Amino acid sequence: MLSKNWLKIVLEIAAIVFTSAVFGIFWNRTLLADAWRGAPAGQTAPAAQQAEALPMPIALVQVKELHDSGQAVLVDARSGASFAKEHISGARSFPLEEATRQQTPQLQGVAKDAVIIAYCNGFSCHDSMELGKLLIKAGYASVYVFEGGLPEWRDAGYPTTGGAP
Amino acid sequence: MKPFRLPLIPLVLRVALGAVFIYAAVPKIADPVAFAGSVAAYRILPYFWSYLTAAVLPFLELICGVLLICGFRVKSGALIIGMLNLVFMAALASAMIRGLDIDCGCFRMEGAKTAPWVALLRDTVFLAMTAAVLRYERLRAG
Repeated sequence: MLSKNWLKIVLEIAAIVFTSAVFGIFWNRTLLADAWRGAPAGQTAPAAQQAEALPMPIALVQVKELHDSGQAVLVDARSGASFAKEHISGARSFPLEEATRQQTPQLQGVAKDAVIIAYCNGFSCHDSMELGKLLIKAGYASVYVFEGGLPEWRDAGYPTTGGAP
Repeated sequence: MKPFRLPLIPLVLRVALGAVFIYAAVPKIADPVAFAGSVAAYRILPYFWSYLTAAVLPFLELICGVLLICGFRVKSGALIIGMLNLVFMAALASAMIRGLDIDCGCFRMEGAKTAPWVALLRDTVFLAMTAAVLRYERLRAG
């Protein structure tokens, strides 16, 4: 049985955790509501609108629609090794590192007016945004960035390919 | 005669630990989306839970950091920090075992990656600091 002192500490810990949860959920209520609905992260949108040369964010729902209808080319901006382990089914690999090495990055067999969706490993992964910028600079007209990337796709239960367990 | 005990070292440890956790919390509170991405990159939590963790965890770090610096409810604050460190270490170890090439997402949300093993080493130091703070608190109380 817990002594009085330990009970006091447990209660204090519970109070601290509860207070943090209340503050955190209230502070991020809009973001959490968006995440619950599966919408793209609203706080990155203003950054994407700052300049025309930045690829626009695109949400999971739209990515799935474009993927299923074959209207978009999904481009994996991660390393070749990561791509080999697991990637969105039907996506093609174009690591940011490789695109940076090329003077003008070219996606073989993809028209300049095709819809391109770059993705990488989630929201803090900047590779897809950087790749998107390079592709826009190279003349591709419709470049989007799937912000949730592979983690969101996988969590939604959509098909992936590769050797990941 | 009571042995002379210099309280400066426990005080420095406590304040330093508190400051580290406040320093870690602020950029995460400022950019929860980026932190949610860091959490998601570990591939442990489902999509929404990455966001929920990113929303709550930085406030927990901030409150515990403030408690440690203020010297108020130190034992509870330090225990939470210790538990958080253990969770972080487990997540980092799991990322290392699975060969994930990710940033630890510990402090800054941008810039150079911090390898999981470096973060693991750093968390070990923080855990040792937490243990020292808790030990001093116990000695002081008892």
